[in-house]
Amino acid sequence: MISNKCKIFFLSASLFMAGCSKVMDIEPTDRLTAGVIFGDPEGVKVYMANLYYQLPIEDFAYFRQGFRWNSSPGTGDPNNGGFAPAMSTDEAAHSEFGDFLGNDDFHWWDNGYKLIRDVNLLIDEIPALKIIESERAALVGESAFIKAFAYFALAKRYGGVPLMRESQKYDGTIESIRVPRSTEKETWDYVMELCDQAINNLSESFDNRRANKWTALALKSRAALHAASIANFGSRAQMSGDAVTQGLVGLAAGDAAGYYTQCIEASEALMNAGRFSLFQASPSNPQEAAGNYRMLFQNPNGAGGEAIMIKGFAVPGNGTGHNYDIWFQPAQTANGWPHPGRMNPTLDLADLYESYDNPGHSAPLVTTTDGAVGDYNGYNASKTYIRFDTPHDIFLNKDARLWGTAVLPSTMWKNTKIIIQAGFVRPDGNAVIRTNDNITIDGITYYTYGAASTSQYSGFDTYGGNNTRTGFSFKKFLDEEYAVNPSWNRGITDFIEFRYAEVLLNYAEAVIESGQGDMAKAAQAINDIRKRAGHSVDIPLTVENVQRERRVELAFENKRFWDLIRRREFHTEFNNRYLHAIFPLRDLRALPAEKYIFVRANVPNTNPKTFEPRAYYRYIPGIGSNGLVQNPQY
Amino acid sequence: MNKIKLLFSLLVLGFVACTKDNYDGPTAGLSGRFVDAQTGVLVEQDIIRGTQIQLLEHGYDPVTPQFLIVKNDGTYENSLLFANSYTVQPLRGNFIEVPAQEVSITGKTVLDFTVTPYIRIQDAQIAIDGSKVKASFKLEQTVINNVKKIGLYAHSDTRVGEPMRLVAAEQELNAASDPAVIYELEIDLPSNSNNLKPGNSYYFRVGALIDVGEAKLNYAPAVKIGIN
Repeated sequence: MISNKCKIFFLSASLFMAGCSKVMDIEPTDRLTAGVIFGDPEGVKVYMANLYYQLPIEDFAYFRQGFRWNSSPGTGDPNNGGFAPAMSTDEAAHSEFGDFLGNDDFHWWDNGYKLIRDVNLLIDEIPALKIIESERAALVGESAFIKAFAYFALAKRYGGVPLMRESQKYDGTIESIRVPRSTEKETWDYVMELCDQAINNLSESFDNRRANKWTALALKSRAALHAASIANFGSRAQMSGDAVTQGLVGLAAGDAAGYYTQCIEASEALMNAGRFSLFQASPSNPQEAAGNYRMLFQNPNGAGGEAIMIKGFAVPGNGTGHNYDIWFQPAQTANGWPHPGRMNPTLDLADLYESYDNPGHSAPLVTTTDGAVGDYNGYNASKTYIRFDTPHDIFLNKDARLWGTAVLPSTMWKNTKIIIQAGFVRPDGNAVIRTNDNITIDGITYYTYGAASTSQYSGFDTYGGNNTRTGFSFKKFLDEEYAVNPSWNRGITDFIEFRYAEVLLNYAEAVIESGQGDMAKAAQAINDIRKRAGHSVDIPLTVENVQRERRVELAFENKRFWDLIRRREFHTEFNNRYLHAIFPLRDLRALPAEKYIFVRANVPNTNPKTFEPRAYYRYIPGIGSNGLVQNPQY
Repeated sequence: MNKIKLLFSLLVLGFVACTKDNYDGPTAGLSGRFVDAQTGVLVEQDIIRGTQIQLLEHGYDPVTPQFLIVKNDGTYENSLLFANSYTVQPLRGNFIEVPAQEVSITGKTVLDFTVTPYIRIQDAQIAIDGSKVKASFKLEQTVINNVKKIGLYAHSDTRVGEPMRLVAAEQELNAASDPAVIYELEIDLPSNSNNLKPGNSYYFRVGALIDVGEAKLNYAPAVKIGIN
C-alpha cells in the first residue's frame, strides 16, 4: 500500500520534472504560429483581413457602446434600443430615450491598443517576409494606413496618447512597458506621419474595399482638418489642469495653419486625380436629385467615382449584418419587427436645408402668417396658421436632400403612404394634440394620428415607442427595395467610409478657415455638391455656407458629433437646449376642404440638453494601473 | 456529526471573513463659505456646472480628485469625508484664482475662501412690469477682461442660474463694462407661456460672465415673483 503510494508519487514527480524542461517550447498544434502566418503571403492576407475587421469605422454597427455592435465577438447585446450616435447631436431625437452623452459613451481604448499591437506585430515581420519589393512596400503602406486610422480614432477621443511606434517586448518588469502619454501635438503629428508613410508606399491602383494611395489621402484630409480645427478653435473652450499644462490635451493656435495646409494638399491630390467625381452630378430636377441622393446610400457600389472606401455588410448574420433597417424603419413598414421608428430627424436639422427660392440661406419652416419661427410654446388658437393642402406641402421647395434623408409626412415609402399627424383642430378652434381621440363630422371620423389603428400610422402616438415624435421619420441608408427581415443583424446595406463629397467639403472648410488654397476652387466644390442636389444658383464661399452644406450633405454619416467636438461648438450649441419637432395638424375648421396646419414645438416628453466642456475629451480608462495623466475634470 | 462540524466551521469562517471587511465609514467633514474680500458678503454661485472645490487626498498615487459643489448662496459642505490631510483648491470659479492649500480635515473642519469675484452686480432690481419681467443692474468688474454676456434667468426652483433655467434673456456684451451704465434685460411673459405659466411663482436672477477661460457667472441674489 505504502510502496504503491510512493511509486505513484515518484512517477508523478518525474513526469512533472520532465514536463517542466520543455513545456514552454512546445509548438501548439491547435493554432497557427507567427512563423506559419507571416511566412506565407496568403497567411499575411488572412491576418490583414482581421486588422481591417478591427478598424474603427463609424458605420451602421457603431453605437455609443462601441464598434461592431452587431453581435460581433467581444461585444454585447445588439439590443441597445437603437440609440444612434446622431441622437447625441442635433440631427435626431430617439423616439423614447432622452439620453444625450454619458462619460462612458464612445470609448475606444483597449480595442484601440489591441489593434495597434496587432498591426505592430505585422510591421515587425515585414522586412523578413519572402516577397517581392513592390508587395513589401504595399504592406508597409497598408500597415501605416491601419495604424494612422487607429491613432486618429484615439487622438480625437483622448487627445495625446501613448505612441507605440514599435511592438513592445516584455522583459519581466511592468515599468518597461508603461509608456507615458505623448502631447496632443505629437500624437496628431504621428497620425500625419503615418498617413504620409501610407500615401508614399501604397499603390495608385484603385480598390474601394482596401487601402490604397487614395484612401490614405482621404484619411489624411479628414484627420488634418480635425487637428487644424482643434488648434483654431481651442480658445472657444479653454481647459485647465495637469493634462493641459503638460500639453497632453489641446493644440496651440499657431499649429492650425500647418494642419490646414496638409488638409488642403491631401484633398487637392484627390480632386486632381481625375478618377473621383460626384454620383449623378447634374440632375434635371430636385425630384431626380432626391432619388439619386438616396440611391447613393442604398447601393454605394453603384456610386461610381464617389465612393473612395466602402465597408461591406455583405452577409446577414452576427458580426456581418447590421440593424439600421429594423430600428429606423417607419412603424408602418416594420414588417412585424416590434421596435421600429427610433430615428427621428429633428426640426432643427430640417430647418437648415435651403429652399430653392432663397439660395444660400437656411429656410426655417414658416407655419404662421406672421412669419415668426422662434415660438415653441405649442398651438395657440389666436394665431393665424398657414393652411396647406397636404401634410408635406410645407416642404415642397426644400432641398432635395431633406427628401432623400427623411420620410416626410404623407409621402410614399415602400409603396405605403406614411401617415405622420399629431392631431386635429376642431371646428370650434380647439386643438386635440397627441391625445388619442376622434371626432365625427358629417359621417366621417377624423383621428388624432391620422388613422384609426396603430398599424396605420407612424407618428406621435407613444405606442411602443415606435412612432416619430419630431414629425420626421428616417430613410437615408435604408433599402427601399426589400421588406425588412424582422430579426437581428439582417441589414446588408454597405457603408461609405470615405466619399468624394466629404473631401470637397474638407477642402472648402480648410480654405475658408485658413485663407490658404484656391478660393474659386473651394467655392466650386460646395456649389458642385449643391448642383447635385438640384440647385442652380451658386452661392459664395463663406464659413456659414460651408458649415451648412457640410451638415445637410453629410447628415447621419456620424460626422456631426466630431464636427461639434473639433470646432468646439458643442458647449455653446448645447446649453440648456431643447430639440424641436413639427406637429402636422388636420384643420377641421376648413371643412369640407382638406387642409393642414403645422405647429413648431419642443420635442414632446424631452428635457433640455447641456454639453459639459470636459466631454471634449473622453476620460483615460485605467489610470490606476497604467499610471497615465487623466484628462481635465475627470 | 462530521457534517455538522464542517457546517459550523464554514459558518464561523464566513462570519470571521465578514467582520474583517468592515472599515470605518467617513467621519470627518469640510464646510465653509466664499466671501468677497472687499465687501465681506457671500459670493453667489451655481449649484450645477458652477465653481468646484477640488480635494486631493494625500497618500494615494495616482489619486482620483474629489470635487465638491457649492450652493447658490456661496456656502458649501461635505459632511462625509475621511479624516486625512488634503490639498484643497477651488477651481473654475467666478473669482480670481486662489492658490491650493494643504488642509488637515478632522472632525467638522471649517474653511472659508476669501476671494475677489470677477464681477460685482450692484443695485439689481427685478420686478414685474405689465406683461414683462424687467431687470436693471450695474456692473463693477475687478479684472480688465471683457464681459462676455449678461443674462436674466428664470426657473421654478430657488437655485435658478444660467445652467438651471426655464427661460433666459441674454445679451452678448463682449466689451468692458461701464460702471456708470445701468444694464437692462427683460423677459416677455406671453411669449414664454409654455414655461412661465400664469398663476405660479418663479425665481429670477441676473448674472454676468467674464471672458476668462472656464470662468463661471457672477450673480445677484434670486428674487421670487408671482405671475398673473
